[in-house]
Amino acid sequence: MMGDDEILRRWFVDEVLPLERDLERFIARHSRDRDEVADLRQETYARMLAGAAADLPRSARAFLFTVARNTLIDRARRAKIVSFEQVADIDIAFDGDWDATERGLTARDELRRAMAGLDLLPARCREVVRLRKVEGLDIRETAARLGVGRHTVERQLTLGLRAIASYMLGGEARIVRTAARQRDKETG
Amino acid sequence: MSARDVEQRAAAWIVQRDQPDWTSDDDAELRGWLELDHAHKAAFWRLDHGWRAADRLVALKQNTATVNATARRTRWRYAAMAMAACLICALALTVMLGIGRNRAGDPTAVRFATAVGGQRDVTLADGSRIKINTDSALVAEVDRTSRDVRLDRGEAFFDIAHDAQHPFVIHAGDRRINVLGTRYSVRRDGATVRVVVVEGRVRVEDAGSTAGAAAIVTAGKVAVAHGASLLVVDRSPQVVEDTLSWRRGRLTFDQTMLGDAVAEFNRYNRQQIRINDDRAARIRIGGSFEATNSAAFARLLHTAFGLEVRTEGDTIIISS
Repeated sequence: MMGDDEILRRWFVDEVLPLERDLERFIARHSRDRDEVADLRQETYARMLAGAAADLPRSARAFLFTVARNTLIDRARRAKIVSFEQVADIDIAFDGDWDATERGLTARDELRRAMAGLDLLPARCREVVRLRKVEGLDIRETAARLGVGRHTVERQLTLGLRAIASYMLGGEARIVRTAARQRDKETG
Repeated sequence: MSARDVEQRAAAWIVQRDQPDWTSDDDAELRGWLELDHAHKAAFWRLDHGWRAADRLVALKQNTATVNATARRTRWRYAAMAMAACLICALALTVMLGIGRNRAGDPTAVRFATAVGGQRDVTLADGSRIKINTDSALVAEVDRTSRDVRLDRGEAFFDIAHDAQHPFVIHAGDRRINVLGTRYSVRRDGATVRVVVVEGRVRVEDAGSTAGAAAIVTAGKVAVAHGASLLVVDRSPQVVEDTLSWRRGRLTFDQTMLGDAVAEFNRYNRQQIRINDDRAARIRIGGSFEATNSAAFARLLHTAFGLEVRTEGDTIIISS
């Protein structure tokens, strides 16, 4: 039998993650700081899993956006920077977000998207990800091939993984640029 | 931990988990970390899913052979690596994965086979994915002009990349199955061919004649072809899902006669089960079982139905 956790994971992956693009747009519209979007998205997911663990909601979409709205309102209250009008505005925008779904990429789209994502990575990070995903090399083999340390490969692969995963879920190149900045800081 | 730190940690776990030196202790530690906080689960599941979605990149590896041969429009940065990768690619294909060239001078035809109890995931050059079931063999020939697969024996699940210009054609015995882009399985037992469609529509036709009978099979339908006859039946989504539970390594039965269930198990195991009498063979059973564990299945028959179970060499014998 499937464990409860496995049921929750599948629901999250099948029903919730396809909505990530809409969710991020929704949050971005109501957040003043672009850097805040990823944090708010993550907080929304965590709250949603906590709420859904006991009983899976009938509509993932309605549930997700309700939780996102509450997260935004709580954030606004905590920060004490948002006027009441802005919070009220969230309800209106919430209704408008219902139809903008883009579900299920075909296999070919997925490959194309993965290639585009790979192209967006900084050169060294791209090569590490390529050796992993295309050639199937592990960290040790990659380090030997590129003549760098294991630790460097690990770091590049972790950054690349985050960037590619976000990109595959419909995110923009923004996180990728964050990764690039971080890389430059670390290496230079 | 901030959301960003959690994400960084989750990414590091995924990187480590995919390494060859990953141990069961590591696994326990990861599970402990996931249990700590729903935020951990959210970050880990999300990155894991997104990262896997990029697995199709492996198609670039097989592409390198055809890229060189057909001067396909290639981005300059892939062109350089293609030269170096080509040799490695050929070696990897023949040695590591056990794939041999099907015909001399035809670099795009590759043969895939699985042993009894084995399963295998394959990504083709066009991005289509095939999950090959136990004891099966097929030859895939996919390039920029055509997409052909010949199922020699066994069963496979196809997740076909949509391409209206190049229909994906599967040859199974004397049947030909035509699709543009969809998800479905094809099983061949000798002359009998069974097609189960999960999504989209496929056309099943006689391979020999172009004017012969053809049937369109749509989602939720199962087509069984034998000789000149072709039967198409409607199935509930649940039944379709159960039929394909082998993709998760499981066999699912519902009111299935024990004799038929045992025949299914025997496809997946060297250790064969034999039923000694008709009365036992007609018992109806249901449930979901691990396909490669026929011993556990036999023990359950003993516990649940009081059937006598004994082992002789490589055979498990069951009787009332």
